[in-house]
Amino acid sequence: MIEATFPLLGTAFVVLIVLPAFALLAKAGLVMLERDEVGGPLHGLNLRYVLLTGSSALPVAWLLSAGLHQAETGKSALACLLDHDTAELCFEPGFFALMLAGAILASSIGVIRRHRGVRASSSDAARTLLQRVARITSSDPVLAGLGDRVVVTDDDGFALGTHGLLKPRVFVGTAFAERLSDEMLASALGHEAEHVRALDPLRYLILQLALAVNPFGRFLLEPHAARWQAAREAHCDREAVILGAAPLPLADAIVRAARPGAREVVALGARDTAVLKFRIGMLLAFSERAPARCCHQGPSAFPVAFVLLLIALLLPHQTGTAALDVLHTGAEHALTYFWR
Amino acid sequence: MDVVWGKQLSSFAVGDVLAILEKQRDIAYTTVMTTVTRLYEKGILERERDGKRYLYSPKLSREEFLQSTAREVLDEAVGGHQAMAMLAEKVSEASAGELDDLEALIQKRREELDA
Repeated sequence: MIEATFPLLGTAFVVLIVLPAFALLAKAGLVMLERDEVGGPLHGLNLRYVLLTGSSALPVAWLLSAGLHQAETGKSALACLLDHDTAELCFEPGFFALMLAGAILASSIGVIRRHRGVRASSSDAARTLLQRVARITSSDPVLAGLGDRVVVTDDDGFALGTHGLLKPRVFVGTAFAERLSDEMLASALGHEAEHVRALDPLRYLILQLALAVNPFGRFLLEPHAARWQAAREAHCDREAVILGAAPLPLADAIVRAARPGAREVVALGARDTAVLKFRIGMLLAFSERAPARCCHQGPSAFPVAFVLLLIALLLPHQTGTAALDVLHTGAEHALTYFWR
Repeated sequence: MDVVWGKQLSSFAVGDVLAILEKQRDIAYTTVMTTVTRLYEKGILERERDGKRYLYSPKLSREEFLQSTAREVLDEAVGGHQAMAMLAEKVSEASAGELDDLEALIQKRREELDA
């Protein structure tokens, strides 16, 4: 058996055992958070997100770092870059990194494809809509910052949504916008403004990637991810209303966006109508009594997650790669035993 | 409860709800009384005696009620469908009737607020 096989064993160990185990731990945390009565389903959104994504990101980051570090000499892969005399020792970590990057890329291609942007249009209808949007955003101080972030498209398979990872923009379909009054469109833009502010397309992409690289643990987390996303949409509705969007026009816009057009592909089953009803119910409630900011989101969740990620990346270089080393030598002993 | 929340009835008797509902459709006093009693038994309404009748009041606002029941609602949102940051995700054509109902509900609320 060649040495190059052992990195595959390490990857299998992480994918088959470590990632599902972390997913199980994350699920336990998510169940506890979702049971929390205070604040209801909008409670702890940041913390829930960190559990959903961190359970995959931390083991993968550790594995990648450990794999690069795990040359036979115990030297860091940095030696491969700095010292050419040790080139023969660099095959294993190099091969391993290549395999891992390939596996992650392969599992992520579908996700990345779904995040392709929508083409902007410059037809007369698009220009008219752009002028209408400019008029709406310029008259609303909250939406004013969104002015240069709105793009219109003639793609009649597209209603309204936010695209773009680092600089998100709101795409509005001309056909859909025709079905909305100015008040509905302003409220809908208010909802999307919260997605823009919070870089939600990037958040959603990372969430999808986290689930994609955990093929044996994702089934544990998918229901929680769907609930998190539904709660996130409801959170954006609430924020839009707090910042001045009219709740009933927003409710109208949501129901209209939920009706598939002639060319639109039905994306979700009837079960998710329940979420739609929940959001409309919330907006009807907001029309009676203005909402206040609610729910503890877990403000320290992201800084803590960043520190943990840093630790996962640095740990193999500080304390060694004991787990992979044990796996490596254990596999060698087992093979020697069975093949003698 | 839609009537109670919509009309913002902080304290009401069965007859008050009946008077509102009778403007919309034919409905019997006993039907309203049974419904109100069930809502009380479920803890959604509280009541106090006022002579020979009970006066009811909602224990929760509509938003608080939705929050308290939302977990069950969101429990149905399983399946891992991960759409992008959209205003609303498209639902199946089978739900067109439900969307009609939602639109009617919004329109009704708008008329209530205008009135």
